[in-house]
Amino acid sequence: MNLYKTSFRYLFALMVIGFLGSCSDLLNEPAENRAFTDETDYTQTENMILPLIGAYGEFYTRGWEGIPLISVRGDDVNAGGLGDQQDFAEADNYNYNKDYWMFNSLWEVNFRDIFHMESTIEQIELYEQHAPNTATAEQYKAEARVLQAFLLFQMSRVWGDMFIPPSPDPSDLLVTPISSKAEVMTYISQQMDAVADALPAVNPNKRSDIPGGVTKFTALAIKALANLELENYQAVADATSQIINSGEFALEPDFYELFKLKGKLNDEILLELQYSDFGQPSGDSKNYLMAFFGPQNWTPKREGASGGWGFFEPSMKFIKFMLDRGERVRLETSVLFTDRGIAEIKSDPAYTNLPDWISNVTPSGDRINDYARALFASGKHYLPSEQLTTGRTAYGSNKNMICIRYAEILLMHAEALTRGATSSAMSADEAVNLVRARAGMPALSGVSSQEVMDEKFAELAMEWGIRYYDMVRLENYSELSYGGRTFTADKIFLPYPQNQVDQLPALQSR
Amino acid sequence: MRMKILFTLTLCVMYTLSFSQGREITGVVTDAESNDPLIGVTVLVEDTGTGTVTDFDGRFTVTAETGNTLLISYTGYSPERVVVGTEDNYNVQLSFGSVALEEVVVVGYGTQRTKDLTSSITTIKSEDITKTPSSQAMQALQGKVAGMQIVSSGTPGSGPTVRIRGIGSFPGSGDAAPLYVVDGMFFDNIDFLNNNDIASISVLKDASAAAIYGVRAANGVVLVETKSGSYNQPAEIVYDGYYGIQVAQNVLKLANAEQFTDMALESGSEADISFIQNAMQRYGRSRINPNVPDVNTDWYDQILREAPMQNHSLSISGGGSNATYSIGGSYFLQDGILDMKNEYERFNLRSKVDYKATDWLTIGGNMLLSNSTQYAPAQDAWFRAYFAVPIMPVYDDMNEDAFPVNLANAQDLGYRGGQNPLSSTLFNNNRLKRRNLVANFYLQVDLIPEKLTFKSSYNHNYLSYNARNIDLPYFIGNGYQNPNSSISRTYENRSNQIWDNLLTFTEDFNRHNLQVMAGTSYRDEAWDQLRATGLNFPVDQEEAWYIDQAETIPVDNVGDNGARQYGLSYFGRVAYNYDHKYLLYGTLRADGTSKYQEKWGYFPTVGIGWVASQEDFFNVTGIDYLKFRASWGELGNDNVPASDGARTTDIITTAIDDQLVTGTTSLSVFSYLSWEVVEELNFGLTSYLFDNRLSLDADYYIRDTKNAVIPVENPSIGGTVRKNVGVIRNSGFELALNWTDNFSQDFRYYIGGNISTLKNEVVDLFGQAYVDGGSAEFRQRSIVGQPLLAFFGREVVGVYQNQAQIDADPVAVANNLEPGDLIYRDQNGDGEINDDDRVILGSYLPNLMFGGNFGLGFKGFDLSVSVFGQSGNKILNRKRGEVIFTSDTNMDADLAINRWHGEGTSNSYPSSKGIRKGWNQRLSTYFIEDGSFFRIQNVQVGYNLKGADLGSGMPDIRVYFTAERPLTLFDYNGFNPEVATGIDRQTYPIPAIYTAGLNVRF
Repeated sequence: MNLYKTSFRYLFALMVIGFLGSCSDLLNEPAENRAFTDETDYTQTENMILPLIGAYGEFYTRGWEGIPLISVRGDDVNAGGLGDQQDFAEADNYNYNKDYWMFNSLWEVNFRDIFHMESTIEQIELYEQHAPNTATAEQYKAEARVLQAFLLFQMSRVWGDMFIPPSPDPSDLLVTPISSKAEVMTYISQQMDAVADALPAVNPNKRSDIPGGVTKFTALAIKALANLELENYQAVADATSQIINSGEFALEPDFYELFKLKGKLNDEILLELQYSDFGQPSGDSKNYLMAFFGPQNWTPKREGASGGWGFFEPSMKFIKFMLDRGERVRLETSVLFTDRGIAEIKSDPAYTNLPDWISNVTPSGDRINDYARALFASGKHYLPSEQLTTGRTAYGSNKNMICIRYAEILLMHAEALTRGATSSAMSADEAVNLVRARAGMPALSGVSSQEVMDEKFAELAMEWGIRYYDMVRLENYSELSYGGRTFTADKIFLPYPQNQVDQLPALQSR
Repeated sequence: MRMKILFTLTLCVMYTLSFSQGREITGVVTDAESNDPLIGVTVLVEDTGTGTVTDFDGRFTVTAETGNTLLISYTGYSPERVVVGTEDNYNVQLSFGSVALEEVVVVGYGTQRTKDLTSSITTIKSEDITKTPSSQAMQALQGKVAGMQIVSSGTPGSGPTVRIRGIGSFPGSGDAAPLYVVDGMFFDNIDFLNNNDIASISVLKDASAAAIYGVRAANGVVLVETKSGSYNQPAEIVYDGYYGIQVAQNVLKLANAEQFTDMALESGSEADISFIQNAMQRYGRSRINPNVPDVNTDWYDQILREAPMQNHSLSISGGGSNATYSIGGSYFLQDGILDMKNEYERFNLRSKVDYKATDWLTIGGNMLLSNSTQYAPAQDAWFRAYFAVPIMPVYDDMNEDAFPVNLANAQDLGYRGGQNPLSSTLFNNNRLKRRNLVANFYLQVDLIPEKLTFKSSYNHNYLSYNARNIDLPYFIGNGYQNPNSSISRTYENRSNQIWDNLLTFTEDFNRHNLQVMAGTSYRDEAWDQLRATGLNFPVDQEEAWYIDQAETIPVDNVGDNGARQYGLSYFGRVAYNYDHKYLLYGTLRADGTSKYQEKWGYFPTVGIGWVASQEDFFNVTGIDYLKFRASWGELGNDNVPASDGARTTDIITTAIDDQLVTGTTSLSVFSYLSWEVVEELNFGLTSYLFDNRLSLDADYYIRDTKNAVIPVENPSIGGTVRKNVGVIRNSGFELALNWTDNFSQDFRYYIGGNISTLKNEVVDLFGQAYVDGGSAEFRQRSIVGQPLLAFFGREVVGVYQNQAQIDADPVAVANNLEPGDLIYRDQNGDGEINDDDRVILGSYLPNLMFGGNFGLGFKGFDLSVSVFGQSGNKILNRKRGEVIFTSDTNMDADLAINRWHGEGTSNSYPSSKGIRKGWNQRLSTYFIEDGSFFRIQNVQVGYNLKGADLGSGMPDIRVYFTAERPLTLFDYNGFNPEVATGIDRQTYPIPAIYTAGLNVRF
């Protein structure tokens, strides 16, 4: 009995220990709720579009500070919003602080997506191995390349010499030499040549799989932009000619509405950042932070609509330039006036009598009230309160951000021709007059380079710093020395962000 | 008659049989010095498991037989053994002050006698834990354990930040919180326990003590024993409760309307001046000073309140010869001092039962149910109250469109933000319900009586977590509104199981004492979560606050997640000593885990000790006991994730042609991680002096985290990927002294103190010279050779006082500076001031902490006082630093009054104009402040009434008054200098608490 009891005790202890040994398999259980890239089934080639949609998702997700920083330095626009983000205002005054967070953020956000595009291409290639034909894969990869090129193009315009990513692994940049701006632009041009034919030759809004996505003409547009930076005007003329000759694009007749909801997937657009609140009063919403550009104080036509932050103020120089030209359509579209701003214009004896359509009430009926931080707000980033989806109040909700539009193509074409390039697509006069006609401006004949530049100023102000980069390219620094600023050649590029200099050997030697 | 005799005989025989253990032994236990009877002394009959405690007259009665040994022990007294002879009555005297050498401490999977320890363990008893009125037991340990930093949290229901011997993991990479082991079950925190549930808390500080917990032990281990009964103890019923009021302390003074107006007028900013004008137009001019708007709102005053707290607990414990039990319940309720739905309520029930089923089998069970509801504060109210301008009223009748209340809107004055902090407190309701069930069952088999035991115990912790966060809609202005009500729900379940099996062998032969333990542990930790958000639901009735009632449920906010991890461990311990003179200790734990790619880790430790005072040659007057200790050990930290980066594919949604579409995104930044390994060397000394009246514990340690998980920057794309490549060192010295004595029979006192130093240092960062933390504006940098995440910026040497000084300084000229701007030190002497002139400005970790306690008792009265302080840490006053984002808001009065406003007015603060300039907004010593403080932590006065004095059957009664944190002294410009991360942006103030309490013991 006792023996039995004692044995039982030991047996029990042994059983317990023996059982535990068999648990060790559990240590090899994989982690829960993770979809490892390695485990994706790439034979399901119908999923090949998923990484591409992801690429668009990343491309449309831009930091709110990125586009303002790219765009703020021209004589068309001022930082506005005095009171905070002092270093943003300093950048507008060409005093650059390499430690300023916006510089680093623009760098990192753009590079992150440049690398995202590399990963997207890798992912598509994994599907491609199983795809019955490779045309779709080639098109998708080409789209990612175009999106990447647009980001890289902006980076090089802002900083000049730039890295061309050698691989999908960011740490390879540690040993990558930096390329000159000319090399970057040449690289972009070549890349666009290489991918253009893989892309559908339609207006982006005619694409059925990804409406508003990249097409052959987006690639050609970026090629033209890169060559414009290179002052390779014949290449600009050639690329723009192809776009013009396609007949896929047309100017939106109503310039004002182009920058409103009507501009979404408009025939004029070659590339845009798409946003939406999906027509729902609440819930999912994808938006760029338009509030940054908006007036800080307003009485919206639709009650309850939110105002903006008061940054990004159209310059007095631009407004007077437009008044001098007798522009109405483009000035009314580009600038939101406040009473204080109007009074400030009138304080100049030359402008005491303003046209009576200049008012602090927008054509859509929103009243812009005075606010301390700025005299004017950007009209191209403004969505009338009555166009907001019912229930939504965020400033500019549901508005797209235009990146490249046909008017810019026409004007690039015209500029290239006035600088000696040849084209059979359209003459410089025809191109400029198309743009002018839409703006209600009389036709010109025998346009000069200067007239084209003025036209670009009038047409493209507040958009992507186009004016600034034009003036820099043409070394027309006197235009940039305005409103108390002095521009010199050493101010062209932003300094590399200190955070990047600390990490990347190639930047340290500079 | 014969029958009667037979019957009596039979009875006698039966009596002898059934009480063959022996006869009734009685006695009185008294204090050796005072001859006072000692109440509650434990009297155990060794080897029988029976025993009792003395009554109010120090009397005891036990059943024992000749030859048995009575072990008589009492906290704070040295125990005595009495061998039962022929006498039936034994009077025993215990000597006070020979302290706890014989006391048994919990060491993890077992116990050891204090005198045989080679490691550094500090134990805090129940009496000291319940002195602190708090929902958080760990709060009571603040200042009591040398080397342990406790940073209080003012939020009701939130636990303090606990750090044992510094920080060995990179903040953000791993959790620096210690492992809590409650009756054998592992926890990340003990927020669910009531102070009254706890019998003792032991802090295993060094690697040698903690190594038995292997991969979980790197941040130190805190062992918590809940209350249990004792064998042969009469039932004891105890009620303990208190009621108190919390009062905000050291409320930061904000600039008032006049000071604020002065600042704005001096700013030179047209905008700021126009806002003052707007305020005067809207609200009128002050009659006292017509240049100031007729509004003067003190926003802290608006959001603060005095808040009550209370705790009631009832416990019943005792035991018979075969069983012990302890059952208790408690209720805790605390309102927050932030004036909104902000409170913490908790109801706990617990029971613990042990039963000797046979002479070789003991079984037991232990259950604890904790049910709490926390209404979390809207923390941003603190932040907004600091910045809201004083020239705006709380409510504004002119704001007619406002809904549901006409709160004032700073935008109506021209300010960018609406500012009113009441939109945070009124329109938020964040409820968190936690239900925590802890169950423990065990079975212990004596394989060889007194020598070899086997114990199998199973623990289960089931935690359900139900969070409901409500944002109510409001409209205060176009730019200050929340059009959609939103409800977010998160349901989480956590089910953790541990099954431990232990074999313990104890053998004492000649003068050799040996204890060997071998064990296995199986762990299964499962967690799952479901969350969703709904928009626009009927807000008026709380019954409708469900996602089902919502108009829309955004797809992007629905999530489902889970994790399951398994662990398997084998461990062993050998503790050997020769004559309690030469001590040797070693443990080894092999930990297997499913979490990491690497499956098995091995964590050894070795400790040695030499009790010099046991040597024959040792004869130093005054030193009663002297022990030298040394130990080495390795620990693991598995609070780091299994991998970092994203070679995983993530789902992303985007808008294409106004349709929400789904895609995937991936980035090739990835690394597998493994646990961190901490290696520690500890040297210590334990001594008792002057007839055991003074005890001394001193330790020096060097603690290296060898493969710390540190962020390695991703070039160009930003962000970091973490890798096991850093080395972080913490080292320090700890000293604890306690003196206990009595002046007379009635008058006893004690005084104690502890002090600890900490040096935190980054030793290696994988070849990187530093790793940046914080943000670009408020940089914290971990530089090799410096503390982790030290504040990194410029050094202010003064303020430019006049134009001549500006003209003479090329730096000032180059940067268009004016009088009233800060002068920075040109650290590299290149004649320019830029980011290359940044230096380390200090660490948020204190390098010196000290605590003290003092107590005295006179007859029925007792008084205890404890103090706590720290120095060497810095605080980033980010409230002031926020000016970089919005420069037109309010500030604290100190800054407004002491600003530079003319030559000689200040050499440390910029002018009003300067405050708004980028030049003065760079992180500098201007924003970094000293976090040193000294605090009276706790004062308690009590009066004790013996039930016997009140009449037969009356309970013992204790009435007490507590002042918790009545006084804190510091220089920092904020509510309180306790800021866990060192960054003070919105910290819940730590209130003072005044309570009255009652303890009744039947």
